[in-house]
Amino acid sequence: MTRVVVDPITRIEGHLRIEAVVENGVITDAYSAGTMVRGLEKILVGRDPRDAWAITERVCGVCTTVHALTSVRAVESALGISVPPTAELIRNIMMTTQYVQDHVIHFYHLHALDWVDIVNALKADPKKAAEIAASYSSWDKNTAAYFSSVQDKIKAFAASGLGIFANGYWGHPAYKLPPEVNLIAVAHYLDALEWQKEIVKIHAVFGGKNPHPNYLVGGVPCSISTNEVAAINSDRLNLVSSLISQATEFVNQVYIPDVLTVAGFYKDWAKWGGGLSNYLSYGEFPTKGYNQPESFRYARGVVLNRDLSQVHPVNARDTQEIKEYIAHSWYTYEGGDSTGLHPWSGETNLNYTGPKPPFETLEGHDKYSFLKTPRWKEQPMEVGPLARLIVSYASGHTDVKELVGQTLGKLNVPTDALFSTLGRTAARAIDAKLAMTWLVEYFNELMTRVRMNEVSTFNGERWEPKTWPSECEGVGLTEAPRGALAHFIKIRNGAIENYQLVVPTTWNGSPRDARQQRSSFEQALIGTPVANLEQPVEILRTIHSFDPCLACAVH
Amino acid sequence: MGQSIWQSMEKKGYSRREFLQFCAAAATVAGLGKSGAAQVVSAFEKREKPAVVWMHFQECTCCSESFLRASHPIVLDVLLDVLSLNYTETLMAASGLQAEKSLNDTIQNNKGKYIVLVEGAVPTHDGGVYCMIGGKTAESILQTVAKDAAAVVAWGSCASNGCVQAAKPNPTGATPIHKLVDKPVINVPGCPPIADVMMGVVTHLLVLGQVPALDSLNRPKEFYGRRVHDTCYRRPNYDAGLFVESWDDENARRGYCLYKMGCKGPVTYNACSVVKWNEGTSYPIQSGHGCIGCSEEGFWDNGPFYQHLPSFPGFGVESTADTIGTIVGVTTLAGVAAHAVVTNVRKQRVIAEVHAEEQKES
Amino acid sequence: MPMSSSGEPIRDIFRSNGHGPTEYRRVYVWELPVRSYHWINATALVALCITGYLIGHPVHILYAPEAYQQYWFGWVRFIHFTSAWVYIMNFFARLYWGFVGNKYAKWRTFLPLKKSQRQEIVEVIKADVLQVKMHGPISTGHNSLAAFIYFLTFIVFLLQMITGCALYAPMSTSWLPHLFAWVVPLLGSDFRVRFWHHIFLWFFVCFVIVHIYLAFYHDYIEGRGTISSIVGGWKFERVKDAK
Ligand code: HEM
Ligand code: HEM
Ligand code: NFV
Ligand code: SF4
Ligand code: SF4
Ligand code: F3S
Ligand SMILES: [Mg+2]
Repeated sequence: MTRVVVDPITRIEGHLRIEAVVENGVITDAYSAGTMVRGLEKILVGRDPRDAWAITERVCGVCTTVHALTSVRAVESALGISVPPTAELIRNIMMTTQYVQDHVIHFYHLHALDWVDIVNALKADPKKAAEIAASYSSWDKNTAAYFSSVQDKIKAFAASGLGIFANGYWGHPAYKLPPEVNLIAVAHYLDALEWQKEIVKIHAVFGGKNPHPNYLVGGVPCSISTNEVAAINSDRLNLVSSLISQATEFVNQVYIPDVLTVAGFYKDWAKWGGGLSNYLSYGEFPTKGYNQPESFRYARGVVLNRDLSQVHPVNARDTQEIKEYIAHSWYTYEGGDSTGLHPWSGETNLNYTGPKPPFETLEGHDKYSFLKTPRWKEQPMEVGPLARLIVSYASGHTDVKELVGQTLGKLNVPTDALFSTLGRTAARAIDAKLAMTWLVEYFNELMTRVRMNEVSTFNGERWEPKTWPSECEGVGLTEAPRGALAHFIKIRNGAIENYQLVVPTTWNGSPRDARQQRSSFEQALIGTPVANLEQPVEILRTIHSFDPCLACAVH
Repeated sequence: MGQSIWQSMEKKGYSRREFLQFCAAAATVAGLGKSGAAQVVSAFEKREKPAVVWMHFQECTCCSESFLRASHPIVLDVLLDVLSLNYTETLMAASGLQAEKSLNDTIQNNKGKYIVLVEGAVPTHDGGVYCMIGGKTAESILQTVAKDAAAVVAWGSCASNGCVQAAKPNPTGATPIHKLVDKPVINVPGCPPIADVMMGVVTHLLVLGQVPALDSLNRPKEFYGRRVHDTCYRRPNYDAGLFVESWDDENARRGYCLYKMGCKGPVTYNACSVVKWNEGTSYPIQSGHGCIGCSEEGFWDNGPFYQHLPSFPGFGVESTADTIGTIVGVTTLAGVAAHAVVTNVRKQRVIAEVHAEEQKES
Repeated sequence: MPMSSSGEPIRDIFRSNGHGPTEYRRVYVWELPVRSYHWINATALVALCITGYLIGHPVHILYAPEAYQQYWFGWVRFIHFTSAWVYIMNFFARLYWGFVGNKYAKWRTFLPLKKSQRQEIVEVIKADVLQVKMHGPISTGHNSLAAFIYFLTFIVFLLQMITGCALYAPMSTSWLPHLFAWVVPLLGSDFRVRFWHHIFLWFFVCFVIVHIYLAFYHDYIEGRGTISSIVGGWKFERVKDAK
């Protein structure tokens, strides 16, 4: 029995430590620890609720935008504000843009190096690579000359020490791609890096900048007018339109084909990393306003035990449904550490009891993480693109069902393959493709509204604090790229009385709960083989398939 | 190793013309203007690729994300050719032991020559346990990497002034880098800093091998010497007294000044209104929201953001200096009035005496 | 016949106090530089307070839709900065006069360095602020409490100039504001400097209210032409009180 420690887990956001127990080459138990905390929930107390979006947006710069959106929804839900449809559309455009950018970055820059051997790409025949690429994509950049220039780049790079690629697990037997596919993937790694800064210009148009575009309680801060040079006008909308076309091409001709191709070589990973069998999604992309979740593009609900015949309703305002535990987290609760608290009455009292740094292991410490442990009706949940698809699939959303079916067909794997490391990565690609399609639709709807001059972007009825009730509470729910995200707020006399965030990676990466049930990361690692304890690439594969964000998870 | 940047680029098939274009772009970004291109060319021809480590502490990674959005010189060239970025938790291939090895090797092999870029603040309360990497505290890691570094750059408001985690009540004792290392630190504030500004600093420091001119807060003068307000395109509206009075009103659509919506442009030193964001696409004000002052020390505690002046410390969210001032002023008036009344009652005798003097004379 | 609170006729108290017929003589207290300082200062300060307040709270004036057609806010700021210069220079002129002026204008009067001055402060508080004593000291120049409060006011004048100059430095090419650029790093940010600059506005509002009231108060209680003194320079002094 060996305890394998991986810390830092890189190519994620934030500070994550995994300790895995390996017996006979297979993981039998695992501990997931978040080792950085900022105490933002404490910092939020006493401030103006209208500022909360900016503070919570700084929870994470990778999924920038999503906390801001969740926060304005929480405040609007507390104050009873409904935003104009045009503002809702712009918010949807911001969010779908984030999905696409975040997922592409995740695949190429955070996840790919678990599957793609950069050094091996040097052995590729660029001509053959171009042929392979042409067989599944019509992207005009995929030429032999191009691949050969990329190969030269990597060669020179390898000669000068490999920089960010140094000390990778290159040559590990778990890498299965032929050299040509490795080369294609490396080339697109570089292309994606160039591309991602284009699509986020959509955020800059509507929110002024990226990372961390601006939001506003009651709507969006940008005004639209086709008669003014200083507003969102036809010139700006044209820019957005061209960025969207460019993104569509990249997703359809590069990202999706690459995921499918790489996945084709790793079908054995449909066996591992399934983890929990419960899936939670809050639903996303309102089409008739945030207060009508039935109209959302992605459905809200819970699927238990992978039973797709039933979707359980979710009510975040019900104080018995969602609760956070700290039995194994470095906090204390006034009512005792084994209780669970609904976030409206949540507490954030830091209390580190782990080993004194520097330390080698967290073994033997009952509490081992700064993540709290969220539960839905006492059950652990997986959240994320996979959970979103499963809940929408089970809810009978046809666009989701079709695309999932097509993808499984192309990979020639059964539906069960979804519940795995491979399935999770494929689900993210499907998620991006759906978001891409919806982004186009939202933009077209926006154009229609602009044409009809329905351009109001702000509802100011409850802007002034004197219009607020002296006490109120609200919940903002979104589906962030990494899954179900909720902000809970209590407002008293114009100031925040309590603010709690329950974040996707908190669900997935948390330590076990008071009843010793594991959360997603820990559960998913169990049963995974590890060929070489010194180079545990398998751990990275499964953990990265969740796209962990620890700054989000702890905040 | 040991090759100049030009050699390494040449090897990769860059033509001399492409190389010169790259240099011109780098010179512009570094604020050297066209005439500085020659300086860049000679620097690139001679200098070895500098070793760089990028540390992540208490942060949100938006500084890394922002860096990746830079326009010129293209990020890829910087990542792959111009520097040897040996450690960055966001992008590096290696994890765990191998990642730590990359860090240690860089420090050992480049003593006194490598550059440390820091993203994030460092928590100092309770022995530093609020940020630990590989079982070590951020505080101890910072000391180790900074000790033999040639230069330390603090990326973003987190590293240069503490940013959001240092906002009141700063539960973890988040501390900016310059307060912890006994070396001069170049501060590049902003939440995040503008990509092109980051690239400008990198070009100066790593490529030209010189520290840019700094102001009294150790910020590169060329990017932080002016207030957002000084070069804001809405400035004529400010001077004209044309203000947005409420969100999305007629005035907002006309692009009037956002001062009355709480814009902090007049107190914020940053290059947003000149350099702009995302390859010049926009900046907060251009897209209708006021500046929140994200490059200023303590900007989180100078809110609410939609008020021109911060709330008065110790009073409720809504009490500005003026509400308090008005109360004090009115109280003073009332006090003075009360004093006048009391005077007429209590000092009747003295007043009478004065009048008596007058009577006597007449 | 006016009656005292005890009901005795005034003339009788007068006699019982041992006062004889009262004689006054004229004293030239406020020289021209002091008087002109005073009124220039008062004018500039009022202008600064009003324009400063407007800078903090621009009113909704919209007589033209385009920026090139109106400039009122620019004028407000222009008046603020011009008055600021007048105010600063005037203040330095007064400082100079504090060394070369008459004894009433000398810098020493503003600081309670002597025991007698400190005693006078206590007396003035008893007689004029709390009014637990009927008769307080009557000084020819500033009484010691007033003088000390002017001293504190001068300090706030200075702070206001310093914070103002610190805010002005980035938009000025003159050397003077730049002397105070260090204030920004000291307070941490322009935010804070502006905040304090704004807070002091309210100090001046309160000062002016109390100050003008007290001018009237002393004039009323003492009947020696206090108010006119700051115009013409002359005050009246009881011959008996004169030293
Ligand atoms: C002594 C009386 C003064 C008062 C009562 C006063 C008051 C004010 C007030 C209330 C503001 C607006 C602050 C805000 O809300 O943002 C302001 C702004 C300002 N004041 Fe003064 N001030 C005084 C003297 C000065 C002086 C001596 C200077 C020196 C140059 C000065 C320079 C400024 C500057 C530069 C601004 C910022 C204006 C802008 O950027 O538009 N002030 N003042
Ligand atoms: C903005 C308005 C004003 C300001 C800032 C102001 C300020 C001052 C200051 C600083 C002094 C001390 C002068 C020195 O020793 O150099 C002073 C004295 C004086 N001021 Fe004013 N003043 C103001 C308005 C007025 C007005 C309206 C009056 C008359 C009604 C007045 C009556 C006097 C008198 C009588 C003195 C001499 C007081 C004494 O004997 O101690 N002031 N004032
Ligand atoms: N987990 C997480 Fe996030 C996302 N997506 C937030 O809600 O990454 Ni930073
Ligand atoms: S400075 Fe701002 S953007 Fe950068 S890491 Fe800190 S919170 Fe994120
Ligand atoms: S919008 Fe802000 S920065 Fe621009 S002129 Fe107005 S106050 Fe200044
Ligand atoms: S909020 Fe920050 S991004 Fe620029 S305009 Fe203001 S400094
Ligand atoms: Mg939380």
